[in-house]
Amino acid sequence: MAGRMRMRAEGPRISVDNERCERFGLCEWEAPALFQLRRDGRLRYRRRAQPHEIEQAAAAARCCPMQAIALTGVTGR
Amino acid sequence: MSDGDRIVIVGAGVAGLRAAERLRELGFDGEVVLIGDEARRPYHRPTVSKQLVQGIARPGDVTLQSYVDLDVHWRLGTRATHLDTAQRVVHLPGGEELWYDGLVVATGVVPRHLPGSPRHDPRVRVLRTVEDAAAVRRALATSSKPAVVIGGGLIGNEFAASMRQMGRDVTLVGHARAPLYRFGPRVAESVTDLHRSHRAALAMRTEVRHWITTKDTFGLHLTNNQLVVASCVVLAIGSVPAVDWLRGSGLTLDDGVLCEPTLFAVGADDVVVAGDVARWPNLRFDDVPRRVEHWLNAVESGRAAAENLLAGRAGARPFTPLPRAWSSLYEVRLQMAGLPALADDTVPLADGITGFVRAGELVGVCGWDRPRAMLRWTAELERRLPAPEHTGTSVPAAGVPLVPDTVPETVP
Ligand SMILES: Cc1cc2nc3c(=O)[nH]c(=O)nc-3n(C[C@H](O)[C@H](O)[C@H](O)COP(=O)(O)OP(=O)(O)OC[C@H]3O[C@@H](n4cnc5c(N)ncnc54)[C@H](O)[C@@H]3O)c2cc1C
Ligand code: SF4
Repeated sequence: MAGRMRMRAEGPRISVDNERCERFGLCEWEAPALFQLRRDGRLRYRRRAQPHEIEQAAAAARCCPMQAIALTGVTGR
Repeated sequence: MSDGDRIVIVGAGVAGLRAAERLRELGFDGEVVLIGDEARRPYHRPTVSKQLVQGIARPGDVTLQSYVDLDVHWRLGTRATHLDTAQRVVHLPGGEELWYDGLVVATGVVPRHLPGSPRHDPRVRVLRTVEDAAAVRRALATSSKPAVVIGGGLIGNEFAASMRQMGRDVTLVGHARAPLYRFGPRVAESVTDLHRSHRAALAMRTEVRHWITTKDTFGLHLTNNQLVVASCVVLAIGSVPAVDWLRGSGLTLDDGVLCEPTLFAVGADDVVVAGDVARWPNLRFDDVPRRVEHWLNAVESGRAAAENLLAGRAGARPFTPLPRAWSSLYEVRLQMAGLPALADDTVPLADGITGFVRAGELVGVCGWDRPRAMLRWTAELERRLPAPEHTGTSVPAAGVPLVPDTVPETVP
């Protein structure tokens, strides 16, 4: 069952708003393969999600305390 | 539920929005009606006491995004007045009746009022909505006198910090021995020091004796005999579930809506409950029904309630989250996981984390500006408190096509 989370051809992009992000690391809890709070306190993340990671990427975006994560290329925005 | 059915969601907050989103993700093709008494689309409520009251975010900045085509029928600025579970009808103003095949109750909570406070004075406010934040800002603009906040919980502390970040004087009045005392002495001490270093005044172990409201003076006389003159007073003394509209519906309304472990409401068919208003037993901990008033719980329960409504009572799965929450005060990140409120004792753990212990068992952790350590301790807590096994039908995951991978980005 495909649901409605269909991607455009170029796939969903992840971006984190630098001004908003306060490095809570809740995104890492939801999607450790995409987001990592590094030892130096900086946030490292991957710009493109793999197909099997889209659910996790959306979960991270929903849970981010600063609503700093944007997913683009996902229909319905 | 099947195609052609109508699901009504009452409460257009985050839990209601995430429930609608999950219904569509799972391919529900019927009608979804989202009823909310606030006039705007669901927004990021935690900003009300932080960025919005400070004026560093505008209401338009905090609208929530969704990641599917919601295709819902919005009924904003509309208050549900009554529920008839026998007829399966939600009553709306003007005698309108809206039938449903499935109902999601997600009406949240409303701030408590303080008995004896001049509640119609525009300088006495609560903080729950975008409009509340705007009203506080208007009251602050009319006078340079200090702001006062009554209540030493999360919202009270966030508001006090927000005032200092705006350069306004503020006094926090609370009857506990220290602010955020329920998060353990370590956190209480840290937050006390933090407020001191930012010159926010604390009046703890005290209450309001009486209110002084003349034309040009407005203030409080406290039981410790202190007199505080104020530009505005924010009441942050907790909240009560928004269940007035459910009286007489047959649901059990005793501190929220009583639910089964699956978030199905006790006493009705095809009614699920999500967010701050739901009182359900989280079987990960025990079988005592409780409410959880945190953002992530509203997100996750909204989704779980939608899944279970579609699965039906027989196929529903217990909702057994590991609760997680955060707050930010000045530049400090405060984080919680588990259910600290259950604890009978606290213990200092490694990495500056406070552990909350019930009968020798870790039931919660709390971190003061330790996000990485919190990730480790949250995982540890999940290991120690596994969700109970459930053998039922599982919800199918949405399938998605292939996308390429690219190089990692770093936020400095
Ligand atoms: C100032 C503030 C700061 C917060 N900060 C944090 C934080 O930092 N971290 C954290 O984890 N949590 C925080 N929270 C808690 C978090 O915002 C809530 O847990 C979350 O909003 C609950 O979502 P909900 O959808 O259950 O309820 P709500 O967001 O309250 O949404 C319920 C909606 O239903 C509407 N409604 C009520 N009755 C009716 C009716 N009869 N008919 C139609 N509509 C109705 C309400 O108007 C409201 O819009 C904060 C809360 C507040 C108030
Ligand atoms: S959850 Fe949000 S605020 Fe926290 S580190 Fe991730 S992007 Fe930043």
